[in-house]
Amino acid sequence: MTTKTARAQGGGRSRKGLLKRLAAPVRPLDAPIWLRLGTFAVVLAIGVLIPLNSPTYVNFDLSMVMVYAIVGMGLNLLTGFNGQISLGHSAFFATGAYIAAVMIKNDYNYLLTIPIAVVVTWVLGYLFGMPALRLRGLQLALVTLSLAIVTPALIKRLDNITKGQEGINVFLPEPPAWTGLAADQWVYFICLIALAIAWILTRRLSTGRVGRSLVGIRNNELVAQTLGVRASRVKTGVFALSAAYAGFAGVLYTYVVQFVGPDSFGLVMAITFISIIVVGGLGTISGAILGAAFIQYLPKVTSGAGDSAAGFFYGLALVAFMFLMPSGIAGLINLALGPMVRRLPGRRPLAAAPVGSGDMAQVADAPGDEPAEPAEGAAEPGAMSAPRAGGADSSG
Amino acid sequence: MHQFFQQLLDGIASGALYGAMALSIVLVYRASGIVNFAQGEMAMFAAFIAWQSYAWGLPILVAILIAMVVAFFAGAVFERVLIRPFGTEPSGHAALVIVTLGLMLMLNSGAAWIWGHLVKEVPPVFGGGAISIAGGSMSRQNLGIILVVAVGAAVLFVLLQRTKSGLAMRAAASNPESARLSGIPVGRMLMIGWALAGAIGALVGALAAPTLFLQPNMMATLLMYAFAAATLGGFDSPVGALVGGLIVGVSENLAGTYIGFIGNEFKQAVALFIIMVVLLVRPQGLFGSRTVTRV
Repeated sequence: MTTKTARAQGGGRSRKGLLKRLAAPVRPLDAPIWLRLGTFAVVLAIGVLIPLNSPTYVNFDLSMVMVYAIVGMGLNLLTGFNGQISLGHSAFFATGAYIAAVMIKNDYNYLLTIPIAVVVTWVLGYLFGMPALRLRGLQLALVTLSLAIVTPALIKRLDNITKGQEGINVFLPEPPAWTGLAADQWVYFICLIALAIAWILTRRLSTGRVGRSLVGIRNNELVAQTLGVRASRVKTGVFALSAAYAGFAGVLYTYVVQFVGPDSFGLVMAITFISIIVVGGLGTISGAILGAAFIQYLPKVTSGAGDSAAGFFYGLALVAFMFLMPSGIAGLINLALGPMVRRLPGRRPLAAAPVGSGDMAQVADAPGDEPAEPAEGAAEPGAMSAPRAGGADSSG
Repeated sequence: MHQFFQQLLDGIASGALYGAMALSIVLVYRASGIVNFAQGEMAMFAAFIAWQSYAWGLPILVAILIAMVVAFFAGAVFERVLIRPFGTEPSGHAALVIVTLGLMLMLNSGAAWIWGHLVKEVPPVFGGGAISIAGGSMSRQNLGIILVVAVGAAVLFVLLQRTKSGLAMRAAASNPESARLSGIPVGRMLMIGWALAGAIGALVGALAAPTLFLQPNMMATLLMYAFAAATLGGFDSPVGALVGGLIVGVSENLAGTYIGFIGNEFKQAVALFIIMVVLLVRPQGLFGSRTVTRV
């Protein structure tokens, strides 16, 4: 009995060695700015070069990774930073996808669909988030799960617009002649630009004041309110914003896949979205991309075992990551690279540097011993809310 | 009027299933303080086990019994292996939501992996044909479902309210710390809660399979109605779950008949609507107890 109590108090984890280190909350990488910008530039450069020399199917897969990564970033703002769980983002994704499909079919310019889908899903998210902010935790999960279940039925019900079960085939116009690109390369670049925008936006939001209020609400809403954070406004806002991310990604999905049908946007997709952020790493930006790659490429690995095997392994990954590595792949990378990165010059130390110590290495090590974030290390046994209050992302 | 009465009867039959499913959700909620999102898929998986046993030549009642026993132990194992390591503190709930979602996806895709997406034929347990009741008619299967759920609920009520272990379970659910101090093995009680929920879910799955058509996605909708029922009745009230199930079943059937936009295919919207309205107006549900958060 006593051991049980002790384990419950210790967050229910009594593992040793490597497993324990994996399960522990990971500190932010806190890379120097030149490394962050450098990594971003290198990734972007590679991203630009790949499609020029790759066959169509590679571009297709990578485009899908970027589409999912955008959803993941929005969802991560909501779940990873703010602690609200939404299982209904497949609904917003479907809204974006269907807005694009229906508009393109009616001969509107396909790029025009992006702002419209973003605005519409933002408004929908806001309307949905307003009651949702009164709900917390499980209740929000319940409502959004129901939303995910209803979505395919709603699409079928609105069959005079959505063509119901039949779905809509979408034909994009040829890319502009001056680019000299093939259709798949053109779509790829649209996705790449979208991802870069989402990355920068998410990073700006998550590291600044907004990010701190998000994390503050996640960790203790009442305290955050006491400190002057307007919790309800922030929560609704971030819900609407993450819905808009999903809507944006939905439009890109239509560009890439060129077909929408009701049964793609069901419950499985909603939970797959959760897999993106859990596998990639909750509360990390690069994690969304890693998780998106995971869900896009896993079916190729498991396809030999059957069509449904992928879904099984998504579920298994959710359970396994929550148990073994709650900080996800990004956390694993942080853990691996951390010691190296902390030795690099040019870091902006989290704590005030001791004056006149002169020794760069010593300064750099100081925050390592004593993380500057207050309120961290507070009892947070829940793996979900692994405190990452600082510059809560990894730079890669 | 005749049509109304008929819809009412059909609503009660489906409502009994929703209520029973909601009951299994409530049992888990009372034990562990979380909603088990995998409950519906566990029921679906158990229904497949029943079908498989039947296909191997066992009588249908024995097959259902086997499925219930398997689900009983599966529920206990899930609690012990997947849920308990996260502790019962509210701070672990978000992680538990994700774990049960993972379980849901595993069971759903696992069933599709093993049995495929083709619909399996399950014979109605209580035979075909219909019985006429006061002008309306009810299929023997539906009548059987109502009776089974009623008897099951009565047994559960006696178990929880009139037996020593029922008292221990209720104590463990309402105040783990005090229960532990008075010598109740709280862990085992939570496990039994999950196991009972699993068995009830299996029964619901097997009873629903003939009408819902047995295939891996059959439970999503039923789960949602069950959530609506549990929300309406109050997540910590077994009685509320059953009453909520009946209300949801009847209102869904009536809305499908009398509201043009909803029609027969879009009845699921009723569940979402009920969940939203209840959570906004009376979050604790009809029979639930209000929780007060102290800081």
